[in-house]
Amino acid sequence: MDAHIKKVYVPMTETGFYILLCLREERHGYSITRKVEEMTDGEIVIKPGTMYGSLSKMEKDGLIHFVREEEKRRIYHITELGTEVLELEKKRIERLYRNVKENWL
Amino acid sequence: MSERKRTFKYFTIMEYEEEQEYLRSEHKRGWRFLDVIFPGIYTFERCEPEDVVYQLDYNKEGRKYMAEYTQMFRDSGWEHICDFVGYSYFRKAVSEMKEEEEIFNDDSSKLDMLRRVFYGRMVPLLVIFVLIICPQLYVQLSFGTIVGISCFLMYAALLLIYLIVFIKCALKYHDLKKKVR
Repeated sequence: MDAHIKKVYVPMTETGFYILLCLREERHGYSITRKVEEMTDGEIVIKPGTMYGSLSKMEKDGLIHFVREEEKRRIYHITELGTEVLELEKKRIERLYRNVKENWL
Repeated sequence: MSERKRTFKYFTIMEYEEEQEYLRSEHKRGWRFLDVIFPGIYTFERCEPEDVVYQLDYNKEGRKYMAEYTQMFRDSGWEHICDFVGYSYFRKAVSEMKEEEEIFNDDSSKLDMLRRVFYGRMVPLLVIFVLIICPQLYVQLSFGTIVGISCFLMYAALLLIYLIVFIKCALKYHDLKKKVR
């Protein structure tokens, strides 16, 4: 993995993580926003400026790719590189959770 | 056609927050923002006073796919108004929000926007500015005449003003960067 990719995406922002997670399925920006809102019980609502900016950036960095357009909405899907990055983040979160449970609760 | 008015306001490229506040306060006073043209002429239309949040986004990628870009904002309830010097203007009524909303939901993406403005516009403009002004400074000074010296001082003043604006912007960018990382 590129050093640049590691520097920018490891660790990831919570928003970035949820976007990549949702893009394991083909989705457009607003569909991601609705899914994340549902997944987090309304705690995280991704706004359009953040969403469009993040999607463009991830596409440029090769973490997601454009699939097709439907009714003026661009649909994206995660790439192999994106899956790799997501795996790294998943391991980091699992380790965090494990340590919290063992040393606190 | 509703009553219209025009105002002249000058906001630098990094003063988008002040500009957002200005448009919001005008709307609260019953003036709906319609358009802005160079060098800072704002056109408003009479309307019912309402608390409406105005937001500016700077995204060249968005400008490439205008229909899709504005659709994403429309999906979240933000109306696209117009574009000006690379910025896109949006608004949403407070009555349609659960709590005070912006078009960004974390500092990281706000910083990304600032970075786009800074490296996409401020830095290139400064380079062009310096490349034009510096030879002029040298030429005017080399004349040694009164006119030459005055021209030199005028160019030097222009350069100084631009440098001050640039430094203020760089500081703002740096402060947010420290807050985020």
